[in-house]
Amino acid sequence: MSTQAPGRPANDASADEAAPANFVSPSVVALYAVLTALTTAVTMTLAVPFPPTRGFFNLGDSMVFFSALAFGWRAGAICGGVGSAAADVLLGYGYFAPITLISKGTEGFVAGAIGKLRGGRPWARVLGVAAGGACMVTGYFVGETLYYGVGPALAEVPVNIGQAVFGGTIGLAISYVILVVLKEFPRIPSRL
Amino acid sequence: MTGFVDLYTEGDTVLHRMDPRVKIFAVLMLTLLILMISSLVHLLILLAFIALLVALGRAPFSKVSLALRFVLRVMIMIVILWPIFDPSGTPVLATLGPVRITEPGVMRGITNAVRICCLATVWYVLMFTTPQRDLVRALVKLGVRFDFGLTLSIALRFLPTFSATVESIKDAQRARGMEFDKGSPLRRSRNYISVLIPTIISALRTADTLSLALQSRAYGARRHRTYLRELKMRASDGVALAVVVAAFVMPAVAKFFLKVPV
Repeated sequence: MSTQAPGRPANDASADEAAPANFVSPSVVALYAVLTALTTAVTMTLAVPFPPTRGFFNLGDSMVFFSALAFGWRAGAICGGVGSAAADVLLGYGYFAPITLISKGTEGFVAGAIGKLRGGRPWARVLGVAAGGACMVTGYFVGETLYYGVGPALAEVPVNIGQAVFGGTIGLAISYVILVVLKEFPRIPSRL
Repeated sequence: MTGFVDLYTEGDTVLHRMDPRVKIFAVLMLTLLILMISSLVHLLILLAFIALLVALGRAPFSKVSLALRFVLRVMIMIVILWPIFDPSGTPVLATLGPVRITEPGVMRGITNAVRICCLATVWYVLMFTTPQRDLVRALVKLGVRFDFGLTLSIALRFLPTFSATVESIKDAQRARGMEFDKGSPLRRSRNYISVLIPTIISALRTADTLSLALQSRAYGARRHRTYLRELKMRASDGVALAVVVAAFVMPAVAKFFLKVPV
């Protein structure tokens, strides 16, 4: 006598399945997806061409710092870490992705945590970027020592420092501009 | 690295048809195996096996050569720099001030270079034969929360879009007289601010409408989800899984229980 729709499980009436899922809110999903994609895209496409490092100098760090300074430590850690690691996986350095995830994740986490002190005063932001950059350089040094040995890891340190310095200055500059513009997007959560 | 590359190539080989969960697991197992093996001969055998996988995946020559260029640069750096920082061992080949080059140091450098080559090519095989959406689908089936998987797949979907946005904004700024390859490094990096800010604003606009789109499609309305395409393990996937597990377990047993150097 029960008219059951085809393809439905018999215990459809259980309250558990009909209940709404406790997912992260859609605006957060949208923002994090976009920030992650931006980090990956900038890491993969924007290389500053200049001779000493054969143009292998990307601006991905500026996006990590921007995510952290504009949206807080959680966005910095997740979007910075996952976005940069995704760039590694997509470019074929999958074995290096865990190290990138940890290095850039802590970079974003530290920059966001310190950068938002006292409501994000300028000194706090600069301090956050410096501390975050130091975390990234250290993380990569340790990781590269594990894979490549001390010599190549030392050779990479100046490149990473340069990347952190340029990425940091650009990230600081961008976050100032964007925080002013952010009020025009009502559905983007500005406090996470 | 300029321009956007997708390593995946369409194909219908054994590796393309394999369940992505099995492929991810196999790559992780092989990565552990490569990190465990310390003999040069065994690493070379493994490299030959991985090269066979590359051939099985029928990767186009242009992409393989792109991949090899990346790997070769790192390998050369390791072979040159490793012996300088590893002066242990007896047969000293050369001495230059405080630097001692020894034969075991050189051998260890070569072994590590081959190991990095193995690690990189294993991941290239995965990326050559698996579309990005299958990777995310496999992760969700392996237990990653659906909303995290959704965030990741949205990010991957917008990746080419944003790469194109970056390129077109760069062209637009160039048309207005911006010169990206002139001046000091600091000046050059500063020029990129004028690319990044429009890109970010356009991306935030996307995020703004994206959250509306998600809400209007009843995102998260029901806990139970159904899928259009289900992943199914086939007999060949089971065989592949068994082979990979055996390839990892046998050397592991030999190394840690029988104390045979591998």
